[in-house]
Amino acid sequence: MSAARPDLTEQDNPASQLTSEDVVREHDRSRVQQARGRRWYLLWLLAGPGILAMLGENDGPSMISYTATGAIYGIGFFLPFIVLTFVMAIVCQEMCMRVGAVTHRGYGQLVLERYGPSWAWLAAGDLLFTNLVTLIGEFVAIRVGLTYFHIGAGVAALLGVVLVLFTLSGGRYWRWERIALGLALFNGLFLAAAILVKPDLGHIGHAFTTFSPLPQGSFNEILLLLASTIGATVTPWMVFFQQSASADKGLTPSDLRQGRQDTVIGGVVAAIFGCGALVAGAALLGHGGGVNGFAGAGFPAALGQKAGGTVGTLFALGMIEAGAVAILTISASTGYAISECMGRSSSFNLTFREAAPFYSVNILVAAIAAVVILIPGVPLLSIALNANVLATVLLPFTLAFVVMLANDRQLMGRWANNLRTNVLAVAIVALVCVCGAAYGIDSFLLQIHVLS
Amino acid sequence: MVRHVDPQQPDECEEEMVLSLERDQLANDRRHPLPPAYIGPRAHVALWTLRIFVLIVGAMVIYTFCAQL
Repeated sequence: MSAARPDLTEQDNPASQLTSEDVVREHDRSRVQQARGRRWYLLWLLAGPGILAMLGENDGPSMISYTATGAIYGIGFFLPFIVLTFVMAIVCQEMCMRVGAVTHRGYGQLVLERYGPSWAWLAAGDLLFTNLVTLIGEFVAIRVGLTYFHIGAGVAALLGVVLVLFTLSGGRYWRWERIALGLALFNGLFLAAAILVKPDLGHIGHAFTTFSPLPQGSFNEILLLLASTIGATVTPWMVFFQQSASADKGLTPSDLRQGRQDTVIGGVVAAIFGCGALVAGAALLGHGGGVNGFAGAGFPAALGQKAGGTVGTLFALGMIEAGAVAILTISASTGYAISECMGRSSSFNLTFREAAPFYSVNILVAAIAAVVILIPGVPLLSIALNANVLATVLLPFTLAFVVMLANDRQLMGRWANNLRTNVLAVAIVALVCVCGAAYGIDSFLLQIHVLS
Repeated sequence: MVRHVDPQQPDECEEEMVLSLERDQLANDRRHPLPPAYIGPRAHVALWTLRIFVLIVGAMVIYTFCAQL
């Protein structure tokens, strides 16, 4: 680190050109510079985007999907499959973090500048659509959790929007991130619920070592759960979010080690909590609910009856947390994406006036989703499950640009992808394509009665 | 900011620091657009193929979802 040179005139002195955004970020970065050599404190300062992306993706629809999988198929193939999908997520998110740290620009901005507005808006359009559907799923999760405590949908809608407004009010990335991280810790309630249902550890060990028993039943339902499990761990919003948040936080190439640790810690913790939801859901095996059989108070009430009130309460609180954290991260990713594609400033380190499109989109998408859950008769659980499938279907297009950016040697220099990362990334894109297409085509053919 | 790779020189040394920020982290620097990247014809075809594939499958999923309501 070198201080601004005192012999320069004010016009030439770079320090005099600092904007308010730079001043706030410089404050955070000076703490990072002083923490060099103090391993754990440095990690504490630099962790955030990775953990938030991963725990944010342990959201309402994902937890509903994991729990439904456990309730229908019990402890078996899907338990290690969740871990496998988080390995995929770590590979993808590490690339996003690396591109954000090296270029200091978000995904939307880079696609806009390097590949033109058409591709940028197509990617942002996909994101806006899937995020709106997913956000409805997040409010559904909060509503399901609150229904267990006999609290109505209006409170769920209000709670989500107020939370977004509260976290946006600070004008600092650091404040927003730490509030979201604090809330995300409560994702561990799913693990607590899993422990309290007293699962058979032998079954869990057998599932992890053999990927069995394999799921039985309707081929289309298995495809739905495969696609929604993938969509529960790797999604377009995570890509936009982690790259933009890494740039907004001020990560640099010298922080890549901690950025990777942040991503891996997030992936491991989220995989454990996600497996917790599946194991808790497996207590409902034979309950006869089916994928769509847990409407209303849903899983918390069913678990409460089956495994005791404490489990039901923990699960309900977990659903509220899962929805709340994801509302923050998904709204933020939408704000970043739209304002970056508009070529406007996007940072939590700016005031509302300085980054009006960023903050407005952030609030608007949350408000729209909140209104939808208040509409009577809307098939909320079905929306929540299909949100993940839609994310899986649209994901390959977003990932293709991540791989292109991470391979762009003009941008990335020696931090560009190596061969091993490229092989893994291409395999992931191919797997996501196949799973999404298999479910989409099979469902469509069943629907038009070409298949029976 | 486009990085010109010089294998003889570590990239960290190329970064000019402004207090605790890298020069290309400054808001004013980030407002300068990067030069567009060249996408070859094959890459263009591959991207459009992927785009159309994603749209078709997406439409199938949305149709199925709506039909099942």
